[in-house]
Amino acid sequence: MVDVGLVVANLVYGLLIGIIYGIATVGLNMIFGVLKIVNVGHGAFIMVGAYVTLLLFTLAGVTPPLTIVASMAVGIGLGLLFYYLVIKYLVDAPELATLLATFAIGVLLQEIVKAFMGADSRGFTWNLGNIEIAGVSVALSKVIAAILSIALLGFLYLVIYRTKLGLAIRAVVQDKEGAMVVGVDVDRIYAISFALGIMVTVASGSILAMYLQSGIHPYMGEIYTLKGFVIAVMAGLGSIPGAFIAGILFGLFENLSYVALQSIEGIQPLVLTRSIAFLLLLIILLVKPSGLFQR
Amino acid sequence: MEELLRVEGLESGYGEMQVLWGVSLKVQRGSLVVILGPNGAGKTTTLRSIMGIIRPWRGSITFDGEDVTKLPPHKKVPRGLVLVPEGRHLFPDLTVEENLLMGAYTRVGKEDLSDTLELVYSLFPRLKERRSQKAGTMSGGEQQMLAIGRALMAKPKLLMLDEPSQGLAPKIVGDILETLVRLREEQGLTILLVEQNIAQSLKIADYAYVLEQGRVVLEGTSSELLEKEDLVKAYLGI
Repeated sequence: MVDVGLVVANLVYGLLIGIIYGIATVGLNMIFGVLKIVNVGHGAFIMVGAYVTLLLFTLAGVTPPLTIVASMAVGIGLGLLFYYLVIKYLVDAPELATLLATFAIGVLLQEIVKAFMGADSRGFTWNLGNIEIAGVSVALSKVIAAILSIALLGFLYLVIYRTKLGLAIRAVVQDKEGAMVVGVDVDRIYAISFALGIMVTVASGSILAMYLQSGIHPYMGEIYTLKGFVIAVMAGLGSIPGAFIAGILFGLFENLSYVALQSIEGIQPLVLTRSIAFLLLLIILLVKPSGLFQR
Repeated sequence: MEELLRVEGLESGYGEMQVLWGVSLKVQRGSLVVILGPNGAGKTTTLRSIMGIIRPWRGSITFDGEDVTKLPPHKKVPRGLVLVPEGRHLFPDLTVEENLLMGAYTRVGKEDLSDTLELVYSLFPRLKERRSQKAGTMSGGEQQMLAIGRALMAKPKLLMLDEPSQGLAPKIVGDILETLVRLREEQGLTILLVEQNIAQSLKIADYAYVLEQGRVVLEGTSSELLEKEDLVKAYLGI
């Protein structure tokens, strides 16, 4: 028998983690949308954000929501650094070059963090008590993490749709040569877009740390690179609001499949939940390879 | 008359493939100059190199008394060197008005744009009617008007147009060439036009260059070239 309470609880948790998945994929999709580069090192930037929050909270006592500001600054810094050091020279290179380069950047970040912080899995406790959503008791810290995700998405939306910079970014996406002939410095727009994408990604790492409060280690980002790819393909590569909605769908799917798998005896539902995500990826690629939200 | 643009010994191409083999041309301030030539002669490459979309290999480009050979497009547009590219390259998902504002990208926040916007709307009333429509949904002729309007938003000193008549109905081609004549007479705009259409473009131009295989093979005033029409046609392979 299906336990209704369990289903509702997983819907609520699926929605919350889905929102986090959404914001953790937006940066990946933005970078692909503007620069046509797949950032294979995506998860490592999420990991960096998690460490920013861990360190600022445990060492300096900064409340986790505020650490996002620091993560955003770190993200812009890292984004500009890697753009001008590496990406700039590879934008028009064959795809394999950017895949390898971003992979290398990811490994580099992991190893640097490991050198300074060790490979141990760390965590922290930031307990604000619980609140009830639809009769389900949820940690307030998780709800705050979800709200901050939406705020971050809103901020990105305003930049892209309500500023001159955003208009230039959209112009470059729609017609690069058109943007060049009206006097847009395309290289500069690439740099800023890459930095914005990394900014959101690192900040999403802070939000994720706030949500999980455990399992923070140098390689924690890898699973989010994989999930990010599934979500990005679901959305259609390049679509920013699509990535967010697909993230929510993915979170719901993951949690509900857990419920379904739990009712089957003799299997480990948590282990299978992970593989089911990739089953979903294959199905989407076969049925609608352009993604759910792509025209 | 004073010289606005001087191109000397321009060589350029794509990758390993050289397209231009020493193109030299001059555009006097206030004149309308046309570059004719068959497909693959290097007309588009010439304009793209002058604009800086592709880097010139050798030779020099002097604009308004300044050496601009190595400047990228975003440094040329504010100086008044503006291109309406082949195939228009509009922003299909932006509205007509957003496209026009993008045309003034290098001026936004620095100058008042309303005068220029009014000028464009008075030249092309259709654009005013459709200003909140997405550019990608308009007809070819309207899109060409928008491409010219977008270029005018930058307040060009020299307007370069790459085959504005391509793919358009003869009546609309006439309208567009008529607009160029008006812009030159009423606004004193200098124009460098690339065209396939010999008869119509020689009728409105002061001076013409014929390009073949990346070289200037013939040049002269429009009336001189009209007298040598057979020769021009031979070069163009008509």
